[in-house]
Amino acid sequence: MAQQANIGELFSMLDSSVLLVQEDITAVFKDNLNSDRGPMLVNMLVDYYLENNSQQALQILSTLQEPHDKHLLDKINEYMGKAATRLHTLSLLGHVIRRQPSWKHKLSQAPLLLSLLKCLKTDTDVVVLTTGVLVLITMLPMIPQSGKMYLHDFFGIFGRLSSWCLKNPGHVAEIYLVHLHASVYALFHRLYGMYPCNFVSFLRSHYSMKENLETFEEVVKPMMEHVRIHPELVTGSKDHELDPRRWKRLETHDVVIECAKISLDPKEASYEDSYYSVSQPVSICLQRRQIDPNASPYIETHISYGKTTLQKITVPTNVPFLESYGNSSLLKLVTIWSPSAVCGMTTPPTSPGIVSSESSQTSSQPYSKYFSTPAGGKGTPLGTPATSPPPPCISDDFVHVSLPSAAATPPKKEDKLDPGRPLLSRQQNVINSEKALVPGSKSSVNLSDLPEFLGCLASDEDSVEKDREEDAISKEISEITTADAEPVVPRGGFDSPFYRTSESLAASQKKPLSVASSVQGHSLSSEPLASSLDKSGPEGARDTPKQAFTPIDRPCGASDESPAGNRVGQSSMETSILTPSPCKVPARRRMGFGSGQPPSYEHLFEVALPKTAYLFVSKKTEELLKKVKGNQDEDCTSSTSPMEVLDRLIQQGADAHTKELNKLPLPSKSADWTHFGGSPPSDEIHTLRNQLLLLHNQLLYERFKRQQHALRNRRLLRKVIKATALEEHNAAMKDQLKLQEKDIQSLKLSLQKEQARYHQFQEEHDNIVAQLHSQIRQLQHDREEFYNQSQELQTKLKDCRNMIANLRLELKKANNKVCHTELLLSQVSQKLSNSESVQQQMEFLNRQLLVLGEVNELYLEQLQHKHADTTKEVEMMQAAFRKELEKAKFCVQQQSQRLDAFQKRIVELESQLSKKDHLLLEQKKYLEDVKIQARGQLQAVESRYKAQKRITQAFELEILDLYGRWEKDSLSKKLDDEKTEAAEAAEERMDCSSEGFADSVAGYSEEAVGRNGETKPPSTRGSSNSKGGSSSELSTPEKSQNQRMGQFSSRWEASMLLEPSTSVPLTVGSLPSSTSFLGMKVRELFRNKSESQCDEESMTINSLSDTLKSELCKDPSMVEAKAPSSPINPSPSPMNQDCSVGQLHIMDYNETHHDHS
Amino acid sequence: MAEDSQRNFRSVYYEKVGFRGVEEKKSLEILLKDDRLDIEKLCTFSQRFPLPSMYRILVWKVLLGIIPPHHESHTLVMKYRTEQYRDVYHALQVIRFIKDSTPQVEVFLCMHQLESGRLPRNLAFPLEPEDEVFLAIAKAMEEVVEDNIDCYWLVSSFVNQLNNKYKDSLPQLPKVLEQYLNVEDNRLLAHLKACSAVSKLPYDLWFKKCFAGCLPESSLQRVWDKVISGSCKILVFVALEILLTFKMKIMALTNAEKIIQFLENIPQNNTDAIVSKAIDLWHKHCGMPVHLV
Repeated sequence: MAQQANIGELFSMLDSSVLLVQEDITAVFKDNLNSDRGPMLVNMLVDYYLENNSQQALQILSTLQEPHDKHLLDKINEYMGKAATRLHTLSLLGHVIRRQPSWKHKLSQAPLLLSLLKCLKTDTDVVVLTTGVLVLITMLPMIPQSGKMYLHDFFGIFGRLSSWCLKNPGHVAEIYLVHLHASVYALFHRLYGMYPCNFVSFLRSHYSMKENLETFEEVVKPMMEHVRIHPELVTGSKDHELDPRRWKRLETHDVVIECAKISLDPKEASYEDSYYSVSQPVSICLQRRQIDPNASPYIETHISYGKTTLQKITVPTNVPFLESYGNSSLLKLVTIWSPSAVCGMTTPPTSPGIVSSESSQTSSQPYSKYFSTPAGGKGTPLGTPATSPPPPCISDDFVHVSLPSAAATPPKKEDKLDPGRPLLSRQQNVINSEKALVPGSKSSVNLSDLPEFLGCLASDEDSVEKDREEDAISKEISEITTADAEPVVPRGGFDSPFYRTSESLAASQKKPLSVASSVQGHSLSSEPLASSLDKSGPEGARDTPKQAFTPIDRPCGASDESPAGNRVGQSSMETSILTPSPCKVPARRRMGFGSGQPPSYEHLFEVALPKTAYLFVSKKTEELLKKVKGNQDEDCTSSTSPMEVLDRLIQQGADAHTKELNKLPLPSKSADWTHFGGSPPSDEIHTLRNQLLLLHNQLLYERFKRQQHALRNRRLLRKVIKATALEEHNAAMKDQLKLQEKDIQSLKLSLQKEQARYHQFQEEHDNIVAQLHSQIRQLQHDREEFYNQSQELQTKLKDCRNMIANLRLELKKANNKVCHTELLLSQVSQKLSNSESVQQQMEFLNRQLLVLGEVNELYLEQLQHKHADTTKEVEMMQAAFRKELEKAKFCVQQQSQRLDAFQKRIVELESQLSKKDHLLLEQKKYLEDVKIQARGQLQAVESRYKAQKRITQAFELEILDLYGRWEKDSLSKKLDDEKTEAAEAAEERMDCSSEGFADSVAGYSEEAVGRNGETKPPSTRGSSNSKGGSSSELSTPEKSQNQRMGQFSSRWEASMLLEPSTSVPLTVGSLPSSTSFLGMKVRELFRNKSESQCDEESMTINSLSDTLKSELCKDPSMVEAKAPSSPINPSPSPMNQDCSVGQLHIMDYNETHHDHS
Repeated sequence: MAEDSQRNFRSVYYEKVGFRGVEEKKSLEILLKDDRLDIEKLCTFSQRFPLPSMYRILVWKVLLGIIPPHHESHTLVMKYRTEQYRDVYHALQVIRFIKDSTPQVEVFLCMHQLESGRLPRNLAFPLEPEDEVFLAIAKAMEEVVEDNIDCYWLVSSFVNQLNNKYKDSLPQLPKVLEQYLNVEDNRLLAHLKACSAVSKLPYDLWFKKCFAGCLPESSLQRVWDKVISGSCKILVFVALEILLTFKMKIMALTNAEKIIQFLENIPQNNTDAIVSKAIDLWHKHCGMPVHLV
């Protein structure tokens, strides 16, 4: 809120009358806009503008940057919908669009466009329509590509408005229709220029209808007279012209120019390159060539142009009142072009002619230079020249200087120019400078100075620029209370230094202005003439300066000039009643002055760009010629351009106004325009206002166009400059080429010289070579001779060497022989010495031999003396001894043999002995084993025997027990004694037998002995009895009572014994009662007896073996044979025999063993 | 060496690892194959290892001298033994000491008495302690051995051995027992002493009857193996083990009579373990029985 309030205050201060405050506020707004992205501020600005029509707000809005465009467009769109604000909004939109903002491409998408189109289609207010159409026309080249979708809308609008122009359905004032018509005309141009095929087809379809035919006849057809056939109609198609590629390369101003090219209307058209034939300029060029015949074409021509211009300027018949103007403007030009360094042409071309002039006129040198340098290459853009202030002191010099230079140069055809031409050329200069000045002055000139300034300005404007200028000025006037809204014009040159200059200029111009205005007013106002009376007037007026370049047209132009000027003055006076508006005054003035001088800067082109200027001039002349001729014809026709109509209208208005204005005192004129006229009817006021508005719009539109043109111009100039630079470069290259050719020639010359020298040298060289060759040949010959000689010598040398070798061989052989002989000699000498020694030895031996022979003889004598007979005896003894020795030897041999045998035997026997020992041990072991075995068996048997004994005892006890009981019984009964006796005897026997078992074997042996041969039963019986009795007594003490009956029992026993003794030999083994007790007993007895017998027999055998031990017992079986023989007699039981045999066998084995050991 | 080669070479390791009796039967068979059986080796074997039951009778008979070491004479000797048995039996029948209905044990007793010449005059004679021992052993043996003859011979030989060979050592055993008990568990010994039961322990049952009637036959056999093979010390360890096994109960009992009563009728279910432990204990205290008497 605070911010809003703040903004409110700012708004109030926005239109402050103080310039500084305004600037500050504007800066503040811009800062805000930069920082804030919201739509609020923009909306408020729009509102403010619509309310107050604030110039500052408009300024801010028209320079809005990217992010705010949408809000602005939205806001505008919003207001566009309302009929009340539509007009203002449109004008705002126009302002904004003319600025060509960076976001202009967005316009095509904005709903604003739609609403604009809709408005144009539906609105009935002429003012709105005119404004809208102008806005649309402005907008079209900006959106060439995206606008195509609205193409039919555009066409529709055109259709509607064109018909409107004719029919005037709103019944508005005619004056509006003029404006509308002009805008429709512009639209026509634009559409035709941009979309020719589509537009033509639209026209075809639209005006083929009957109801539109009239419109076509009345409105469109005249328009079509002002256009040429568009090339696109031939080459392009409907689709092709909508192709984005077509528009891609074209900028806005390109499009505008493109459109302008089509136009035949001199007010609309622009003339460029290809639209004009080049035939005309060529002739002039040729003319020029003739004038400047000296060699180097480019530089020289430049200079010549420079000269011509100088000549033009320095016409002696200089009108004095122009001096100041001319001074200032020319000086400006001088200063502008002076920095030759800027243009890049460092070397000012110096022509001999000028040099000569310079020599004569020392002071003129710098200026001629100044003029000549820019002629080489004017690199600075057209906009910039206006920046430097004119130093007034030079102006006089300049004029003076130019005069002699002109006089010095030989006069050309053109020199015959009448005074008008230099004047005009001057004026061109002036216009040129003024044009540059105008935008700057707009911002800076004070209100007080305005009238004079306007007057000054008015004289310099081109017809096209005139409108815009007028617009600006009128605006200034109408908004007199507010500050100028356009201080910042986007032109490069208008910076701070320029302000000063323009102000100073303005100050300096004060005086001349008054003069100028007065003079120009009647003398040079050719334009008013044209505008007031007929078309030929303005045409002619405008043509005059152009014609001035061509000597042919000159008289005509000159003749036209003054009367036209006079007429204008009158006519404007007449028409002033219609347009009492004061704003017309400057416009009219300007028209008056400016119209006559539109191409006034063209000569500068000539100066700056000789070629293009040349072309341009030729074009212009051509055109003018045409026009002049055609004017007369066209006068009667109705095909006046709507522009011209408008122009005329304005002219009239201006005239009327000036008339009115003249009645008023000057101060009020500047102070209050609106109240001028006192009491006009309100209706009229409204109309006038609207008209004013429309004019303003138109002006703005024209100004936009002018800008585009300016842009275009700049670009073209740039191209031209480039081209000239390239040409210069080319020329330089050609020069270089020439120089190089010269070099080449000189080089060729020197080459030839060198070749000649070379040839000479060659010859000399050849001579020398030939000489040398001959020398060489001679030398070679000599060499060969020497060679031959040397070869001969060499062969001799070889022979010599061979001889030497042979001699050496011989020498060697001789040496060898000598050596050999020496050797032999030494050998021989040795042999000799040897033989000598041998001879000596031989002699010695011989002597010895002799001595020995003598000794031998001596011994022989001695031997013969001695004789002996012991030989036989010795021989005998020797033989005897030999024999003895032999015997002894034999004996020894025998002995040793025996010894060996014995030894062998001993060894044998020892081995046998060891074997025997071994056997013996084994036998012992075995014996032990057997013994153990037998012992085991024996133990068993013994135990059995003991058991039997125990049994027997038990039985005996039993029996005794039984006996005891039985005796008790018999004692009691005493029935049978015998039985008792027998029983006793039996018992005794039992005792006896048991005793025999128990005590010893002696008894048995006795019995056995007794049984051997004799049978003594009584003795045995007795002994047995006695023994039995004793034993019974011993064993059974309790039976002592029965001893008395021993006799009976012995008897019974004897009888019992007798029987077996008799039958012993027969029935030993077959006892019948084996099971019976007695039988068992008997058998037992026998067994015991045989055992004892065995013992005896073993004894006998032992003795036998002892006796045999001494002898060699080689037959052990003999013992065995004896053994069976022994038991034959007593015939013991087989068991005994077996037992004895086993024992015998064992013993025998033992014995043999012993024998061997 | 031949024996060794026939033995499984792994036998050494079996013993090391703790398997017992894997090779015993085989080695015993090897021993028994010898002609003239080596009694000493058999003794050592039966002391070290439990005898396989199929060879037990044979080994016992050999060890007790019922049959000689020579295989040749076995049949003959057995024939004698049999005849002797029959004779004695017949004699006893003749003198009407025994009838067919007489129990075998008494028959054995009578026969033994007859053979030792101590046959009482009358059957009505009261039994002497010797006879009771004999009866107990015979009863146990009867369970072990099927053949009457073998049984008789084994019983009588066993008893004879006890009476002859161990006549001196048997009375020492109670002292030895006390000594080992002191080593193993002196608390128990103290307890027994406190109960004054040391002297009243069933020594007769343990040492004279050699646990006949105290242990079941299956366990008894293993004890008797050792006894027959010449070690009566095993009896001490069996007794010791019995005491240790039933230590808790014995400790619980404070009365000497009750202790003795309990010991005389020990539960029969765990005797195998007792015997095994006893043998281990015996081995532990007396070393491996190679050097044992």
